[in-house]
Amino acid sequence: MTIFLTTGSIYLVFILNEEGPLRILFNLLTFAGIYGLAAIGLNVHFGLTGLLNFGHASFMGVGAYVTLLLIPHAAGREGEITDTGLTFFPALVIGIIAAALFGLLLGLPAIRLRGDYLAIVTIAAAEIFRLLVRDLESVTGGVYGIINFSESLQIYKPEFLINFSERFELNSSQMWVGLLSWISIFIVLILLRRLTNSPWGRALRAVREDEDAVRALGKNAIWLKLQSFMLGAGIAGLAGVFLAFNYGSLQTTTFVPLLTFYVWAIMILGGVGSLTGPIFGSIIFWVIISETDRLAQLIFENANGQQLAGVRFILVGLLIMLLMIFRPSGLLGKKEELLLDVKSS
Amino acid sequence: MIEQFGNGLLLGIIISVASVALSLLYGVTRIVNFAHGEIIALGAIMTLFFSNPIDSKILFLDRFAPLGINFSISIVIAILICGIFGGLLEIFLFRPLRKSEVGNIAVLVVTIGLSIFFRHLYLLFATGRVQNFPLELERRQTYLFFDMTPRNFQVLIAGLIVMIFIGLFLSYTKIGKAMRAVRDSNELANVSGINSDNIILFTWIASSMLAGLAGIFQAIINDVRYNMGFLILLLIFAGTVLGGIGTSFGAMVGGLLIGIFVQVSVALPFMEGHTEAKNAVALAIMILILLFRPQGIFGQKERIS
Repeated sequence: MTIFLTTGSIYLVFILNEEGPLRILFNLLTFAGIYGLAAIGLNVHFGLTGLLNFGHASFMGVGAYVTLLLIPHAAGREGEITDTGLTFFPALVIGIIAAALFGLLLGLPAIRLRGDYLAIVTIAAAEIFRLLVRDLESVTGGVYGIINFSESLQIYKPEFLINFSERFELNSSQMWVGLLSWISIFIVLILLRRLTNSPWGRALRAVREDEDAVRALGKNAIWLKLQSFMLGAGIAGLAGVFLAFNYGSLQTTTFVPLLTFYVWAIMILGGVGSLTGPIFGSIIFWVIISETDRLAQLIFENANGQQLAGVRFILVGLLIMLLMIFRPSGLLGKKEELLLDVKSS
Repeated sequence: MIEQFGNGLLLGIIISVASVALSLLYGVTRIVNFAHGEIIALGAIMTLFFSNPIDSKILFLDRFAPLGINFSISIVIAILICGIFGGLLEIFLFRPLRKSEVGNIAVLVVTIGLSIFFRHLYLLFATGRVQNFPLELERRQTYLFFDMTPRNFQVLIAGLIVMIFIGLFLSYTKIGKAMRAVRDSNELANVSGINSDNIILFTWIASSMLAGLAGIFQAIINDVRYNMGFLILLLIFAGTVLGGIGTSFGAMVGGLLIGIFVQVSVALPFMEGHTEAKNAVALAIMILILLFRPQGIFGQKERIS
């Protein structure tokens, strides 16, 4: 069913775009890979452990900012150049660890809070992060962002990708980011599959189902939740780095709460608690998004760019609502994997 | 500092009215309403639509002309529309969800979807431009210690009167008492002959009207934007949490305090040159309150709430 829907939606791209469908397809597959990765991280939080995290954008942001500030880059109003720094992969590892540590930092106090309170705290913490990053211009480039960092990653671009891109007139830099994000998804999924089938994974699911029972069995439920929080945050950090490289510049406006809601929509679409679900959810989601833009242009002919971009969010909002009401387990999710009837009393 | 205090009071009264509305709704229905900000924006946008001169095309992709009605009447109509909007949300969305026993977390996610949906609907129909009500500019005057325009001072007074009115309403009227009863225990209220469905519907309407009013306040003091509600939503959460989530009296005070904190923090020495980060102060306060005193300042006392 899901595979069918996914291939169907990819086929849709070919029908709807007469010229350059490959280009559009690879563009949206890159986005799908990056957001799918973020959604896998969120699924570790919410699907696997039942943590209501609405600050996912900040984890992605921490990963992106830490990594980019460690490699050669230019930042701020004057475009101040820092041409010394680590190579990409060590910086990436530190970025992921930083995101995980940020998860720990946020999780340590917040993890005890009840569901809806945790939602408010995480969204507030994400906003604090964004406001601080915007404010600390001397370090993070503030509203002017970070630029000129792509080279660190692009020097590893393999020859065959360049040839392939040239043949089909594609953007080889983006192809490389997209390819890396899909490779990452593959690796992360293998790791997660092993983890969730291990005693640790079963303990996590037990925490989601009944925390008291876990505690009665002598497991440290808080520490388990924290581990899950860190793991998901690390995966989000990785996705954040790819997001930055895909844009080619890093702006604070990327990490607004809407980014989190995008990832939520993808996770719910793919299936809460399903490991591979977010991949399919992400592809379908981005096909819908990219085709909506074109459709919106036809319907609202005298709307400006900002308004047209708004149309896709109208759809995202509607999607989140309808899925939550009619199919809360998503397209691929298992009903028994879902714990949404948490009554807060 | 004193100057910022005046601004803080103004921001505080907006947050305060909106927090009471949010808190009322949470108390009775246990819904954390992320779409609260969109009802706030609806109040402002509707007022703009009704009151703007006919010849200025501002809405619906510059195709629809506004109506050019008297400003005060526009406010009343806008608040009524917000009430109807809230009522419709309850009848067509949240009541069915409640009847089919959808969990609170799922409802929370639904309100987030609702918020994104309506916010961008506003963007589409009311454009992304920053707009102002058709009011004359006024010169600032001094009231006691604060400098503010006469109109803003009127807003402040109006806000305080609304607060007192809500307090009296909850304490002394039958329906106010019923709302508090449903908040304390749905089942017991039902047993005592209170129709909790009607009370919840009434709460939605009242909460939405208050939110609309808060939006109009915000628009008079600042301006109208399609995302004005979302920009202030987290501050409203902060106010609600600070005062004690689910309490009305607490939310009033909490909202005022948050507004004052945010504006006064601009004048603090270490914040110099960092005015952009002022909202972070309020959010940090909220997180600290949630961690160390989740019931808020007034959480334990059962005052007028």
